[in-house]
Amino acid sequence: MRIKTLAITALALVGLAVPASAGAKTTLIGSGSVAAQPVLQALFKTYETQVNKNIKFTYTADGGNAGIKDVQNGTSQFAGQARTPLPSDAGTTYIKLYLDGLCIDVNPKNKLTNISIQNLHDIYRGILTSWSQIGGSGLETTIDPVGRDTNGGPYTFFLQSVLNNEPPASNVNALTADGLVVNAVKQDPNAIGYAGLAWQKKGLKPVKVEGKTCEAKNISVEPLKYPLSRYIFIVLPTENPSPAVQKFVDWARTSPLAGETINKAGGVAAFNKKK
Amino acid sequence: MEEEFQPEYGPRWSDQRVEWMLGALVLAMVALLLALIVTVFVNGWPSFAHNGLSWFGPGGNVDDQLSEISQSAETGAGYVYTFHAWPLIWSTILICGGAVVLSLFTALFISVFLIEFAPTWMSNILRPVVRFLASVPSVIYGLLGVLVLVPFIGNHLITEEQKSSVAGIISLTGYSLMAAVLILTVMIAPLMVSIFTDALASVKAGWLEGSLALGVNRWRTIWKIGVRAARPAIVAGTVLALARAIGESVMLAMISGSTAFAPNPADGLIFIYEPSRPLAPTIVKSIDQLSSPPAKATLFAIAAFLLFSAAMFSLVGWATRRAMSRYGAP
Amino acid sequence: MAQSTGDQHSTVEQQAELETGFPGGVVPPEQGNQPPTKAVEGSSTWSLIDRIGLAFCWFLGLLFCAIAAAIVIYLLIQGIQYLKLDQLTTPAASGFTEGETGGFSDAFIGTLILGVAVGLWHGLWVWLVEYGRPRPLARMTELTIEAIAGIPSIVLALFGTVIFTSTALGFLSRTSEGVVFGRSFFAASSMLALEALPLVVASTREGLNAIPRHVREASYAVGKTKAATTRRILLPTARPQIATGGMLGLGRIIGDTAIILVLLGATQNFAPVEGAPFPLDYLRGAGTSLTNFVYEASPTGNLNQPEKAYAAAFVLLMLVLALNAGTDLVHRRAKRVGTWSH
Repeated sequence: MRIKTLAITALALVGLAVPASAGAKTTLIGSGSVAAQPVLQALFKTYETQVNKNIKFTYTADGGNAGIKDVQNGTSQFAGQARTPLPSDAGTTYIKLYLDGLCIDVNPKNKLTNISIQNLHDIYRGILTSWSQIGGSGLETTIDPVGRDTNGGPYTFFLQSVLNNEPPASNVNALTADGLVVNAVKQDPNAIGYAGLAWQKKGLKPVKVEGKTCEAKNISVEPLKYPLSRYIFIVLPTENPSPAVQKFVDWARTSPLAGETINKAGGVAAFNKKK
Repeated sequence: MEEEFQPEYGPRWSDQRVEWMLGALVLAMVALLLALIVTVFVNGWPSFAHNGLSWFGPGGNVDDQLSEISQSAETGAGYVYTFHAWPLIWSTILICGGAVVLSLFTALFISVFLIEFAPTWMSNILRPVVRFLASVPSVIYGLLGVLVLVPFIGNHLITEEQKSSVAGIISLTGYSLMAAVLILTVMIAPLMVSIFTDALASVKAGWLEGSLALGVNRWRTIWKIGVRAARPAIVAGTVLALARAIGESVMLAMISGSTAFAPNPADGLIFIYEPSRPLAPTIVKSIDQLSSPPAKATLFAIAAFLLFSAAMFSLVGWATRRAMSRYGAP
Repeated sequence: MAQSTGDQHSTVEQQAELETGFPGGVVPPEQGNQPPTKAVEGSSTWSLIDRIGLAFCWFLGLLFCAIAAAIVIYLLIQGIQYLKLDQLTTPAASGFTEGETGGFSDAFIGTLILGVAVGLWHGLWVWLVEYGRPRPLARMTELTIEAIAGIPSIVLALFGTVIFTSTALGFLSRTSEGVVFGRSFFAASSMLALEALPLVVASTREGLNAIPRHVREASYAVGKTKAATTRRILLPTARPQIATGGMLGLGRIIGDTAIILVLLGATQNFAPVEGAPFPLDYLRGAGTSLTNFVYEASPTGNLNQPEKAYAAAFVLLMLVLALNAGTDLVHRRAKRVGTWSH
C-alpha cells in the first residue's frame, strides 16, 4: 500500500507541474486597493503577454490601507490606492496612474436623472429620508441609501468629496463590496448607491451629478468636470523602488496600448498618448 | 504483558517508543490549544484593559468606534480603544439563539421523522439531503441569501409604512434578522439532525416496544420516551450547533446587514426586519485592519469573547449531560 | 437497529449477535441480511394533534428536500451555461469582458491541494486514537479534541495570522526582506486540518472501538506488539470508518470560507515563492481556492464576474455532492461486507 500511495502522490504532483510553467520569471508583488484591481489586472496581463514575458505579477487585494502598510514594511513592491496620500503614508511615493469615477446609481424604476451634491450629502447624512423630498424621482417611498463600509476606498472618497468628512448616518447600509452595492440597487426600487465606473451595466441607472453624466469623457480631475472624479494611484516605496516596477509604471502611464487597456477595463486613461 | 516478552531481534517499533511518540504528539496538541488560548487573550488584552467592563456594555455606535480605533493608528495621535460591544453581543444572542431554537425544533421533528415515520423511499432521499445541506459551503448560502432571500424580504415582506417609521435611523431592506436566522437555521439544523438520529436510533428498543405494547401510539411513544431518553444527545447537539452558529462569520457578513444596530423587540413586528451584526462577522469585515495595533487588539478581544462563550457552552452542555446521564442513553 | 435488551445473553450468543447483527445470531433466510420489516401502526387512530404533528414532520422533511433542490437547481441554471471545460484548466486572468477572462483552474487545484495537505496530518491522528486509550493522557486528549471542535473558525484564522507571521514559522510562507507574509497554502491547510481534526478522530475512534476485544487479544497471544497489531490488523479493519472520517473532514474543509479568506489571501492566481523547490513553492505561496473565488467573483464580491462565480459555485457543489456520495458508498460497502461497523 505504501508504494501505491507514493505512486499516487507522485502522479498528483506531476499533474500539478503542468500549470507551473517553468522559466526564470521575476515576480513583482503588489497589494492594495480592491477598486483598482480589475484595471490593474488588465494592465498586468497586457504587460505580461505583450511587453515583457519574463515578468509575472501577483496582486493581493487586501484594501488600500493594508497595501500602503505592505509597501512601508517591504512586503509588497507596489500598492494600488484609491485615495490621496495621508501623513501616515510616510516613506511612500504616490504616482497618479489613471482616472476613475464614482457613479451614483438608482434603480431603473426611479425616474431621477440629476442630483445635486447637497442632496446626496443630505440623503447620506439622514437628513432627507423620503423620495418625495427630492424632485424628479416619481416615488413617494423611503430612501434606502446604500454605501460601502469603512474599509473601502470608495467609502473614503465619498466621505471626502460628498460628506465633507462627516460619517454617514446609521440608516446607510454599509456593504462590504461594490458588487453588493450594485446588487442592492438593482433589486430595491428605493435604493440609491455609489459604485465605480467599471460597474455600470444594465440594471443600473447612473444619474447625473450636478448636471454632469458619469461617463469616461467627463471624468477628469484637473479640470474638474464630473464632480466625483478621482485619480487611482500606484504607490512605490520612496527608497529603492524596484526598477522593474518603475518600468511597468512608466509603460502604464504613457503607452497607448496601456491606455486602451485601461479604458477597456473600466478606467479612464489620464496621461497615455493616443495612438 | 507485552513488555515481558522481548526477543533479541525485537520489533523495530517497540511499544514503549511508539507510546512515547504518540504521547509527545498528544502533548503537542494540548500545547497548541493552550498556545491558541493564550495568544488570543494576550492580543486582546489591551482592548479589555482600556474599556473594563464597559466593553460589554452599550454606548455609542459600534461602527463609529471601530473607524475611530483604526484611524487613531493612522494619525499617530495615540491609540484609541473605546469600544462598547453590546449591540454586537445582543445581535449574536438574537441571531444565533434564534437560529438554534428554530433548528432545535426543526431538527427534532426531522429526526423523529427519519427514524420512525418516514417510508424507506423518503428516508433514502432525506438522509443524503440533510448531509448535503450540512456540507454546502457558507459562501454559497451567503450568495443565495443575498441574491434570493434578501430581495424577497425587502421587496415583498417589508411594507412602506414600516420603512418610513424608522426612516433616518435605519433602513429596512431585506438585510435583516429574519434572513440571517432563516439561513443560519438551514445551516445548523443538519448538524443537529445527524446527532439526534444517532441518539434516537440507539434508544433501547425494549423501552419503545414496551410503550407500544401498553397501547400508546407511535407518535407519543417516540416523543415521550425516545426523545426523552435521548436528552443528553439533544443537549450535546444543541451545544455543538450553538458553537457553530456563533462562529459563523462569512455567511452572516453577507446577510445580516451591516449596521451594528441593536434590534429592539419593543418595535413590534419590525423587530425581525431590523439589520444587525453579530460578533463573528465583525471580525471578518474588519480583517484588513489587522495591521493597526488598536484595531488588532479589538478584533482579538472579540475573538477572545467568542472563544470564551464557546467554552462556556461546552461546559454547560457537559454538566447538563452529566446530570441527565441517569437516564441511560449514551 | 437490533439492540440487545436488558437481559443477559451468554457470551456465545453475544458473539453471534455481534457477528451477524441479529438477536441470538439467527440470520433470517434470503432478503440479503435486511432485518425483517415490522408491521407498522397507521396514523388513522391518532388524535388530531398527533396527526398534525405527523403532517408537520412531513412538511419539514419535504421543505428541506425542496431547499436542497432549489440550491442545486439555481446554481445549475445560472452556472451551467457558463461552465466550459476549459475553465477548469486555464488559469484565471484578467480580461476586458467576461468572455476573455480565463477560467478558475487555479482555484480548483487550490481546493485539491488543501485536501492533500490536510491528508498528511491525518495519518498522525489515526495512531493517536488507538494508543491513547489506556492512559490518563487519553482524558486530556479527548477534552482537547472537544475543545478544538468548539472553536469558531474565525478564531482559528486569527490565531493563524499571529503564528504564521512569526519568524519562527516563516519557512511556511513567503518571506521578503525579513517580513513574513504569513499567508500561504501551508498556513491555511494547517488551520483547516485543526478544524477537521475532531471529525476524523471521532470516526476513527468509533471504528477502532467497534472491533471486539478478542481480535486484539488473539493478536497479542500470538506475540505481536501493540504497535504491530494496530498497524497491521486494527487500522485496515477500521479503514471504512477512517475513510468516512477523512471525507467528513474534507467536506467540512471545502465548506469553510473564513480561514481561507484570512490565511490564503486575495490573489486569484497561484503565487508561488520563487527559489523554493517544487511543490513547496506552491504550498508556500498564496493563491485561492474555489470558495474564495466564489466569494470574490460573485455579484456580491469585488471581481464583477458573476457568471464565472456561478460556474465555480456549481463546480463546488458537484465536488461536495461527489464527496457525500463517496462517503455513502464506503459506508454502505462496509455494512454489506459485514465487518464490525454498525
